[in-house]
Amino acid sequence: MTWLNLHPLTFLVFAPTLLGFVLMALPHKFGKLARLLGFLGALGIFILSLAWLLGHTPAAGGTVMAERAPWFTLVGLPVDYALAVDGLNLWLVLLTTFLVPLTMLGTWNSLKDRIGTFAALFLLLETGMLGALVAQDLFVFYLFWEAMLVPMYFMIGVWGGDERRYAANKFFLYTLSGSLLWLVALLYLANKAGGFNPALMAQAASALPFGVQGWLFIAFAVAFAIKVPLFPLHTWLPDAHVQAPTAGSVILAGVLLKLGGYGFIRFAIPMFPQAAMHYAKPIALLSVIAIVYGALVAMVQRDIKKLVAYSSVSHMGFVMLGLASMTVIGTQGAMLQMLNHGISTGALFLLVGMLYDRAHTRMIADFGGVAVKMPIFTTFFMIVTLSSIGLPLTNGFVGEFWILNGTFLSGFSWGRLYACLATSGVLLGAVYMLWMFMRVFWGPENKDEDSGTHHLHSDLNAREIAVMLPLVVLIVWMGVHPKTFVAASEVPVAALLQEIKAPAPRVFVLKPAVHEAPGIPVSGSPAPEAPAAHEVH
Amino acid sequence: MSLTPSQWAALLPLLVPALGACLVILMSLDKDQATTKWIRGAMYGTALMAVAGSFWYLTDLWKTGAQPTFFQLHMDRLAQFTGIFVMVAAALTILQSWDHFHQEGWVKGETLALLLFSVTGMMLFASTTHFVALFLGLELFSIPLYALVGTVRARSESAEGGMKYFLTGAVASSCFLMGGVLIYGLSGTLDLAAAAATLRAQGLALDPLVLVGAALMLLGFLFKVSAVPFHQWTPDAYEASPHPIAGFMSVATKGVAFIALLRIFPSSLGPLTAVGVKMQAVVAVLAVATLVLGNLTALVQSNVKRMLAYSSISHAGYLMLGFVAGTPAAHTGVLFYLVIYLAMNLGAFGLLTAFGLVGEHTTFEDLRGLGWKRPALGFSAAVFMLSLAGIPPMGGFYGKYMIFRELVATGHVSLAILGVLASLVSAYYYLRFLVALFLQAPSAEAERLASDRPVVHAPLAGATVLVSAAIVLAGGFLQYFLVEGFAKRALVEGLGLIR
Repeated sequence: MTWLNLHPLTFLVFAPTLLGFVLMALPHKFGKLARLLGFLGALGIFILSLAWLLGHTPAAGGTVMAERAPWFTLVGLPVDYALAVDGLNLWLVLLTTFLVPLTMLGTWNSLKDRIGTFAALFLLLETGMLGALVAQDLFVFYLFWEAMLVPMYFMIGVWGGDERRYAANKFFLYTLSGSLLWLVALLYLANKAGGFNPALMAQAASALPFGVQGWLFIAFAVAFAIKVPLFPLHTWLPDAHVQAPTAGSVILAGVLLKLGGYGFIRFAIPMFPQAAMHYAKPIALLSVIAIVYGALVAMVQRDIKKLVAYSSVSHMGFVMLGLASMTVIGTQGAMLQMLNHGISTGALFLLVGMLYDRAHTRMIADFGGVAVKMPIFTTFFMIVTLSSIGLPLTNGFVGEFWILNGTFLSGFSWGRLYACLATSGVLLGAVYMLWMFMRVFWGPENKDEDSGTHHLHSDLNAREIAVMLPLVVLIVWMGVHPKTFVAASEVPVAALLQEIKAPAPRVFVLKPAVHEAPGIPVSGSPAPEAPAAHEVH
Repeated sequence: MSLTPSQWAALLPLLVPALGACLVILMSLDKDQATTKWIRGAMYGTALMAVAGSFWYLTDLWKTGAQPTFFQLHMDRLAQFTGIFVMVAAALTILQSWDHFHQEGWVKGETLALLLFSVTGMMLFASTTHFVALFLGLELFSIPLYALVGTVRARSESAEGGMKYFLTGAVASSCFLMGGVLIYGLSGTLDLAAAAATLRAQGLALDPLVLVGAALMLLGFLFKVSAVPFHQWTPDAYEASPHPIAGFMSVATKGVAFIALLRIFPSSLGPLTAVGVKMQAVVAVLAVATLVLGNLTALVQSNVKRMLAYSSISHAGYLMLGFVAGTPAAHTGVLFYLVIYLAMNLGAFGLLTAFGLVGEHTTFEDLRGLGWKRPALGFSAAVFMLSLAGIPPMGGFYGKYMIFRELVATGHVSLAILGVLASLVSAYYYLRFLVALFLQAPSAEAERLASDRPVVHAPLAGATVLVSAAIVLAGGFLQYFLVEGFAKRALVEGLGLIR
């Protein structure tokens, strides 16, 4: 128990992988046992994370739990094995540990082949996601960030739809292209800072000429923006979402996309505050385009899953808009919206999956009058649809309202226009969701022999209701009392934004050790390049 | 003449494989070797014993820290590192070739003898800076390989590949010889490590003839590592040769040539010398060409062996980037990269044998669905391919990481960007391997053919694949120990002795 007391985060992050390897080694015929073990393991991780992370009283800085130890020094760059859960990632970690067992249960019978291997990959993916979320050292973050790709690649590629190979390759290479260029930026900065500690790297970055800072910020931002995905880097997403099996789509939408937004708030913005301020306006513009464009494209989709995929582009546009507003309320809205999107879109993908398992089609035109045949399903779908639209008293409303509020107050010259345009996205969201809902669930029952409605023989069973209930509870809870979920990030977000907007360079606010870098002027004028740390071997 | 114990110690790692080779030749005189299994077993056993004996002797030397010499033969840490590297490669190759040659129905002891002679030559090549010894080593390891490439005589491509390799190789060897002659003629010394200083002292450091000589010698090395534009032999030779031999050539030849280059390049051609600056620019340009051409050509291959050949060309490009950076840390990175490369590339070639793909049946089509049929091998394949592509947490990532890091630190940011873009391209064709193994069901045609053929068992090759996968994974998690305990010590303590 002593080891566990000292390394709770290590256990949370790596226990799924250990279990995953055990499941992978199980012979093929024990697939069902592996699925059960995988689910129980993931559930155990969720309960543990809930008990540990919410049970601890946060320290003064908001840190709930932390581990730090020197790992290795390769080519003169020390790497720390540093993990921490604090206000910024607490709820994202819980969202991850919550969604994994829930998704496993929700897609219990969706797959027929190699279910043991699927469960194993799912657990490996959980390690990647949790590791990336809690990593406090950029090298460790990079490792988890890349390692995450592999299980997702196989989940899409092996268990996906007809175009799965194309979608899986596109997903893998698209994401890799961003992160490889980001690696060069990381190495450049690590070379200046003499390590991968984010605070040291931020300090080194602030000493660089502004042009260089801008390029480094762009390298960071592109890698994260691909993950979000921000227009125009979103083109991998519809393919990946549509082709992925239900469980893959849920986790992709629920957690993987969040890591992009999280990367901005954890690394890109704090490390390059000036560059982030400078590029906030273009990012806000792209976010507004993503919101409107995603909604318009979603409107004309004939496949429900593709519609939800494009709605993700639109919703994640809100997250980016909130971050780009550089206001406390906008950023808090973005934090909340990330959780919202994870819950609502995750629930939507689960529901679409349940429909597909029964009808073997996802085309809107194949349905009609589903409400008559599946009343419970329709009720859940209605609630989740309203949450996705952002009806007051559901979670979607609060996040979007805060983000729009933040954008309005952002002080950009076009900020108010952006807010207005983004608001039209909310309206369009209602249009495409409700129009789809109307065509699928209402109207006369589609009696055609080949239609999807014709193949619907059973409403949701107890297992599926058990999966949807917690999601609905969360939707209402987050809509009525969002403070539960944003209280933790309030202090760190406010501190971050204050530092960014403070006139003095950030290095003096944070670091008393000014003597280490002589030659930095006291005023806010651009500092000369710090002497490159000459590595010692 | 009697030798001191220290001189024996320097010679033994070379003598053991050579002696083993002679024994195997004697055994293969037996006419019944094709029909009698125990003779084949004895030959393979002898070869393995010779390799293992040398390996144990070398690890023993490594542990004691002794660095004996025999005249110009320096069995220093770097040579011991090379020896261990080559012996592991040879052992894996011998184990794989037992299965492969039985699958091909063509088992001859002579192949083992040739392999062992080649191993001896490699040891000599990587443990000296004396020009004549270098040339002897070069020829001793190359000529058996020319023969090994064409070893399966039943296939016409085999002879073609062997001939192609031999002709181009002979030209490269003569260029190397000519370059050495020029340097010797101008400097008056055969020791290449001392030549640079002598030339500088005589004011000949930038003499055109010195440049020509250095360029010709570099050409000899670049041919062996299959750098563009001296790479054309590679795909043909790999495709023609038996799978294990192709794997051995891709790993051991390249590795030894890089290590020998490491022994000579930094001291006589390194960035500190006038010639070295020019040569470094040449290496940078060729590295870029190698990366671009190797990766882009690998994209369009339909034969796995040709894909692996172009991939091995592109890996030569990354390793050359390590020489462009030229810092001690970059050289350590090169050595670490070679260790991981040994495991992942020999593992990848071993997969072909373990899956029982004989003859020309080595296209991506032939791989379809095999990953699910043989899960352990499939898992290893995923490890190799992700590592070759440089995806963490595999060992291959850290090799690239160290080299790119040193490129950035020395101001070659654009080369680092090109390197990562090359990795991105390479990810596509490595993924193709995994797509075939896991994401595609076997074609109906292949299913029908497979039911006609007997099931292939390749336990030894399978074991080598698993061992290689374990090394690649270990490289990803214990990278620090490999670098600090092995690669860095070889470099610092080994090269420190000579200079």
